[in-house]
Amino acid sequence: MSEGEGRCLSLDIHRQLGDFHLHVELEVGGEILVLYGASGAGKTSTLNAVAGLLTPDSGEIRLDDRVLFRRDAGGRGGRGDRSSLPPRKRGVGYVFQDYALFPHLTAEENVAFSRWRDRDGRNHSLELLERMSLTHLAGRLPHQLSGGQQQRVAIARALASRPRILLLDEPFSALDLPLRERLQQDLRQLRRELDFVALYVTHNLDDAFAVGDRLAVLQNGRVLQVGPVDQVFRHPVDQHVAEIMGLKNLFRARVMGADFKCLHLDWAGLAIEAIAPPEAAESTVTFYIHPEEVKVIYPDVPITEDLSHNLVAGRVVSHQHHVDHGHDLSVRLTNDQLVEVRFPDSAYTELSLVSGEEIQLCLRRQGLTVLSPPPTEVKNE
Amino acid sequence: MIWQPLIISLKVTAAATGLIFIIGGGLAVWLARSRFRGQSVVEAVIHLPLVLPPSVVGYYLLVVLGQSGPLATWLGWNALFTWPAAVIAATIVGLPLMFQASRAAIANVDPTFEQAARTLGSSELAVLWRITLPLARRGVIAGLILGGTRALGEFGATLMVAGNLPGRTQTLPLAIYDSVLSRQPELTQYLVLLMTLMGFFSLWLVRRVEPGRASPTQALLRRGGWAREDGQTGNRLEDGE
Repeated sequence: MSEGEGRCLSLDIHRQLGDFHLHVELEVGGEILVLYGASGAGKTSTLNAVAGLLTPDSGEIRLDDRVLFRRDAGGRGGRGDRSSLPPRKRGVGYVFQDYALFPHLTAEENVAFSRWRDRDGRNHSLELLERMSLTHLAGRLPHQLSGGQQQRVAIARALASRPRILLLDEPFSALDLPLRERLQQDLRQLRRELDFVALYVTHNLDDAFAVGDRLAVLQNGRVLQVGPVDQVFRHPVDQHVAEIMGLKNLFRARVMGADFKCLHLDWAGLAIEAIAPPEAAESTVTFYIHPEEVKVIYPDVPITEDLSHNLVAGRVVSHQHHVDHGHDLSVRLTNDQLVEVRFPDSAYTELSLVSGEEIQLCLRRQGLTVLSPPPTEVKNE
Repeated sequence: MIWQPLIISLKVTAAATGLIFIIGGGLAVWLARSRFRGQSVVEAVIHLPLVLPPSVVGYYLLVVLGQSGPLATWLGWNALFTWPAAVIAATIVGLPLMFQASRAAIANVDPTFEQAARTLGSSELAVLWRITLPLARRGVIAGLILGGTRALGEFGATLMVAGNLPGRTQTLPLAIYDSVLSRQPELTQYLVLLMTLMGFFSLWLVRRVEPGRASPTQALLRRGGWAREDGQTGNRLEDGE
């Protein structure tokens, strides 16, 4: 996934901000790491700490062998081991949430801001403008540009100093969908070409999917889970993460027993199995199944070994068809639970899926994740 | 009789305006972005000449610049009754106006712009020179003009520390006072008219650069090349392919 040649940004920082304690530990390679979480989760503070705009109380930030920041715990005020590079020496490009384009400078002057002294830098800026198809707008002031154009100027400006780290704070939040998708592609392309480490803050999951190589879920100043985007989606580590991600198909079930590889669950009257370690065996658990892991069973096609477990029946409640990702189905099961199903356009076209239709589903065992309860929750029956 | 005080006034005002820019601007930059104990006292001291009678300011200056004052004792420089004393008096009274206007303008600059400049490799001095001051320029220039004009009109403290020596320290306001005392009504009228015109001119200048109104050159620029469907109607330009 990461094709960067050994680039690695590692950070481990603590910062007390009033009642809020930021403690972020991350390793980022040559990739785009998405920081995902609600507002106030500490995403922007993390970016600011990397950029040098916020000074952690203690911790370390380094890029490869270069220490950007270091201060020992308890070293506040003391003259112990501490060092902090000023923002201008960190080799960081920062795309701010509202772009922060300098209003008194033209698009071109904005992009060339970091390299205004050398001719080579000016040429580089012009190339970047062209790369972003902004050449014809080079002479405009920021307020004469649309949101998407400002966005591209901001990215070009951040890249002009050839940063080793690119920080993006909700860069596409104000843009409409087609433009967003184009910029998402551009960003991935640019990262491959210019080989920087990218931290991308968003609270939009589509954004996370489209640009992210990996995803870090933040809440209350802490990283709850880091992993490839798809993996975090399919296998959130605990209930917290699943809730933060706004996942559907979260259900409670009673544990009936466990054998060497399966957990037997009683899900409101339906017996199902999950592949889960026995230590997860508690009296009641929460499980999650990604809508794509719920398979619709054809009446006329033999059931494969893969789909031979967890067969359930229900009635279609609603059916929506989306051009970009296929069909979304809501199904009310015989145990009165509502399950979301998603499947691509290519499959199952012959099935009639009008509301009220009876249908058979399989909850794939491999796709079913038993979540560990949130650490703070007090268990009761 | 008109030219000598005019030239002295211009010389004193030019030097004072330079000092006002450097000192007042420096204080504004410092105090606009910092919070510390005793800050309000510092600011009150800077503003004091606005509310004190000129004779009180003049007295303080006499103490500082006089024979037993620090300048004379440490530097051996007795500034009293020289034109630099007039410059110092003019600077002190013009400073608060510059400070007030530029401090407000600098505090109004969104700090995100300054942070963006820092991440783009700018030193603190470069941030100040390329971002903060350009964005606060209207307030700074307006403050400078007001401060300079106040320096030009300075009378009381100047009389006390620089005296009223024709050809050496006699500025326009002092020359008016002199001409009234020596009953030269025609000269008085000329000088008064001259000062009134200069006052109008500076007010007109301030109006032009006042924050919130586009400067004429900018308006021209916008009307030219780039202005098509922008700003005024509120329409954003469509995203060009």
